[in-house]
Amino acid sequence: MPAGRRGPAAQSARRPPPLLPLLLLCVLGAPRAGSGAHTAVISPQDPTLLIGSSLQATCSVHGDPPGATAEGLYWTLNGRRLPPELSRVLNTSTLALALANLNGSRQQSGDNLVCHARDGSILAGSCLYVGLPPEKPFNISCWSKNMKDLTCRWTPGAHGETFLHTNYSLKYKLRWYGQDNTCEEYHTVGPHSCHIPKDLALFTPYEIWVEATNRLGSARSDVLTLDILDVVTTDPPPDVHVSRVGGLEDQLSVRWVSPPALKDFLFQAKYQIRYRVEDSVDWKVVDDVSNQTSCRLAGLKPGTVYFVQVRCNPFGIYGSKKAGIWSEWSHPTAASTPRSERPGPGGGACEPRGGEPSSGPVRRELKQFLGWLKKHAYCSNLSFRLYDQWRAWMQKSHKTRNQDEGILPSGRRGTARGPAR
Amino acid sequence: MTQREGSLEAPQADSSVSLLPHLEAKIRQTHSLAHLLTKYAEQLLQEYVQLQGDPFGLPGFSPPRLPVAGLSAPAPSHAGLPVHERLRLDAAALAALPPLLDVVRRRQAELNPRAPRLLRRLEDAARQARALGAAVEAVLAALGAVNRGPRAEPPAAAAAAAAAAASGVFPAKVLGLRVCGLYREWLSRTEGDLGQLLPGGPA
Repeated sequence: MPAGRRGPAAQSARRPPPLLPLLLLCVLGAPRAGSGAHTAVISPQDPTLLIGSSLQATCSVHGDPPGATAEGLYWTLNGRRLPPELSRVLNTSTLALALANLNGSRQQSGDNLVCHARDGSILAGSCLYVGLPPEKPFNISCWSKNMKDLTCRWTPGAHGETFLHTNYSLKYKLRWYGQDNTCEEYHTVGPHSCHIPKDLALFTPYEIWVEATNRLGSARSDVLTLDILDVVTTDPPPDVHVSRVGGLEDQLSVRWVSPPALKDFLFQAKYQIRYRVEDSVDWKVVDDVSNQTSCRLAGLKPGTVYFVQVRCNPFGIYGSKKAGIWSEWSHPTAASTPRSERPGPGGGACEPRGGEPSSGPVRRELKQFLGWLKKHAYCSNLSFRLYDQWRAWMQKSHKTRNQDEGILPSGRRGTARGPAR
Repeated sequence: MTQREGSLEAPQADSSVSLLPHLEAKIRQTHSLAHLLTKYAEQLLQEYVQLQGDPFGLPGFSPPRLPVAGLSAPAPSHAGLPVHERLRLDAAALAALPPLLDVVRRRQAELNPRAPRLLRRLEDAARQARALGAAVEAVLAALGAVNRGPRAEPPAAAAAAAAAAASGVFPAKVLGLRVCGLYREWLSRTEGDLGQLLPGGPA
């Protein structure tokens, strides 16, 4: 990892750098026509400072002819000339600079502090690194996809912005034995994440933490302890199909398949469904669709396109007591409810007429009534299915009546209300 | 071949040489490559200056253009040389560039570790310089030109550049700018020199 290294000193050649090439490469000295060769040195070179601190720097000129003067020299910081009142001539060859209350570095490669000759040519440069030490990373969360790997995400300290390049290293080890390991695949699901692809043990806890390091210091997160089996997620349920329920205009049937990657593992599955109208951003969520692979959505608007998604939580793998981790949502699947046959305002009425069963609230009440009936009356074969059948029958007979207008007197409508039992 | 030798001995006749079709195709191909790489070199330079921060990207920024050990800019007299001499100098410069670009990339990996595009461009530039240098050498060989000129010593150039990189961040930034600038200059020069070999004269 590049950060944490203290700078250029670590990279020097094994033998001392040859002087002549250094001079050739030294861009601190600019030979100018008719004026001799002046070079300068800025001190300190490449300092690291806390935000809000002060800096005292000097630019010392030397060259040919000797006795090069500091008069006329000036400073720029990131290309902007610094006010003269911040500088003072220390002696004939040295110009000093005093900067107070430094702001965080503008770029991670360092702020460019440059000493210029009177004619604007560059005599010397130094890069300032102004920032903050890292704060303790927190909020580590991890999940395992099908028990094969582990991905962790964290939040980088209280504010995140240190103005310095900060290196984050995710470490992990088996709790009771083993050495520290370092995660190597970073930024897999965002800037502060890491992926451990293999060689993970089950049924034994891991300790996981994050170390943050920059030029000003380091910080370590709290240790998260987990068993891979407690943080398992899986792929979204495949093969999600949404279809109409016969002619029922307010219902859609959703079917899906249990995630195949976990088919050999003992687990309980929870599912969630969410759906929305085509041109809406508001999802409605159906919770507690437990361990079944189909569901019927009711109370929908007729003649409307709905988008539906399903996700799975494979909790209880190998007896794990933890809640499990929800998968991503499946790709949206769309279907439309049948258009209503009843004319009404706006065409394709979504609102029912008086006397007809309405959508949500009435349906809920009916469900409660049917539940009560089952308990207190001897109507064991009462069910929502029967109610739906009746509704389908009602709609069919509405259609027939509209087609054969006037054949059936309105008084006979009540007897056509439901199928004979 | 007599025709090729004739073209090498008579610089004035460069543009009027009737090249063999396959040689012309090779030159055209190499010229196109040089043209493409020149565009990439422009992009590399722009990305480089942006990441070093001001004043590197400012219009008036003019650090001293001191020579980099082992590689200099094309001389003003370059255009007046015979084409084979020019191509030899182009090939030599392209051979000297990769280790310098590598040094710059390593330094930038420390200074700008979260700039993967810049690092990738520098890595690609080194590879591309090698490829174009080899292509120019192949053209020279096909023209029957023997490489007589002095060659840069890449290891020494790289060691010197590494030493300079160790001296401070600002000089390292300036060195990188210089190397990227030289890369662009030599690519542009190579493109122009190859263009002069094509029927129809210089581009």
